[in-house]
Amino acid sequence: MGLTELIEVLSSDTAIQVIASIVKILIVLVLCLQVPPLMVWAERRAPAMMQRRKGPNRVGLFKFRLYGLLQSAADAVKLIFKEEVVPRGANKAVYHIAPIFGVFTAMMVACAIPYGNDISVFGQKVSLSPIHLDVGFLFIFAISSLAVYAVTLAGWASNNKYSLLGSLRASAQMISYEIPLGMSLIPLVVIFGTLDLNKMVLAQSAYPWSWGVVKAPISFLLFLVCMFAETNRAPFDLAEGESELVAGFHTEFNSAKFAAFFLSEYVAMFVLSCLAATVFFGGWQTPFIPYETLLSLLGGMEWLAALAGFVCLIVKAAFFMWVYVWVRWTLPRFRYDQLMSLGWKFMLPVGLVNLLVTTLVVAFIENAGRH
Amino acid sequence: MTQELVFLAFASLIAICSMMVILSRNAVVSAIFLVGDLFCLAGLYASMEAHFVAAIQVLVYAGAIVVLFMFVIMLLNLGPDQRKHLEVSAPEIGVLGLTIVGFLVIGGLLLLGQPTGVTGPLTAEAIDNAGGNTYTVGMVLFTKYLWPFELASMLILLAIIAAIVIAKKEHIKDGDKRRLAHG
Repeated sequence: MGLTELIEVLSSDTAIQVIASIVKILIVLVLCLQVPPLMVWAERRAPAMMQRRKGPNRVGLFKFRLYGLLQSAADAVKLIFKEEVVPRGANKAVYHIAPIFGVFTAMMVACAIPYGNDISVFGQKVSLSPIHLDVGFLFIFAISSLAVYAVTLAGWASNNKYSLLGSLRASAQMISYEIPLGMSLIPLVVIFGTLDLNKMVLAQSAYPWSWGVVKAPISFLLFLVCMFAETNRAPFDLAEGESELVAGFHTEFNSAKFAAFFLSEYVAMFVLSCLAATVFFGGWQTPFIPYETLLSLLGGMEWLAALAGFVCLIVKAAFFMWVYVWVRWTLPRFRYDQLMSLGWKFMLPVGLVNLLVTTLVVAFIENAGRH
Repeated sequence: MTQELVFLAFASLIAICSMMVILSRNAVVSAIFLVGDLFCLAGLYASMEAHFVAAIQVLVYAGAIVVLFMFVIMLLNLGPDQRKHLEVSAPEIGVLGLTIVGFLVIGGLLLLGQPTGVTGPLTAEAIDNAGGNTYTVGMVLFTKYLWPFELASMLILLAIIAAIVIAKKEHIKDGDKRRLAHG
């Protein structure tokens, strides 16, 4: 095939979309792989800061210590090269599949987040989320509801009582809190009138007073609590309560498989943080600078505008990642019955009433607008 | 062409997963294949551009209902099926025979040129023009099928209440009245 023919094939509409998809998937993959090392570092340094001690600050490159940032790299290398021990009574196939399942669901959900406004590449409109659906919102819920299998199967396949108890706790918790999580986000769907996450960001505009958090503050508080429960993080980390269950569902996992659980937990946290930023804090919108103004400021270069939006989203998400760490080192662990009654007896009724009130208000405003 | 290929891929995966659900000796493995089955079914919906139904399919069936199945299986801690040979009873042979006859009849009808693959009024373009997938489903559900929809929700509510009543009765029998008092 000649070069001109190759260029012709590569510049066809379908080819541009396919290449764009591959590039987008690679970017999200690399992004997700960067989350755990940075978060591990943050989770060691932040509590050290809060408790007035130093934390790991030695591992660096040659004479540069880099605040101990390379400690995470050392950990990753250790985890990958560690000997792998599979428990004798384990169900081998399921034991090997469970961590993969966790990473798969977490990364799949990360693909549905809109990382920026649509840009045009060679005259083709390309959306900046690898999986762009008109029901992107539901897609995130659907796939993240599958994440519970990774935990459940891991605990069951290990053939260990602690693991099984941990995974039973985790699955009950994740199912229970999925409902208030959904209830907390449906009012936003009602307010913005769309299930398309990018349209939701566009509807919020660049001004903070029209963001989701102002329009539905109760939803935001409910979502914030559910975020912790869905990712099994402190104060809701009963699935791995080390004083009772050793390490919960991943007790019997080590080396790269343990790292895979680590990865999926942190990616799930990152995705929920991005979702919080997208739905409640204007997503990729640069605060106070509308997209059109930004575009004209940057001389009409959509690439730069998209990059600015991407940075804004990551900064907003990073704040929530910090909240995760902050809360972990501030609040003690809940008791299991407290966790369950909080979910079913408080969060769910509040979520339902919130949904009802929001719907009534939106219907009233729409009705008033019509007359 | 692409749609046919996607259909064939998902359909064969569904067939394989469904077979594995009944053939595997371990109940948990059966449940895993059931999840794969439901996921592929969602893929079929998605290939027909019914994204809303596909997402709900995964969310409700694969993400919630089978999790509960799995939960029960794990709590009962069932061991693998100990049967050495596959024992087939007379009714099972009857059902198998009827199934084969059914497939033969369907195949015969297809060969006779019965119309298949005829699209209804709600094609992908028509749905796009009407304002999208979710909008269309919502409109049909809350106008044309409002009463059946509400009746179904009442039925589910009744089932939930009945389940709670049955569970509570057990407690009274056990003499555990304290738990009932605390609700």
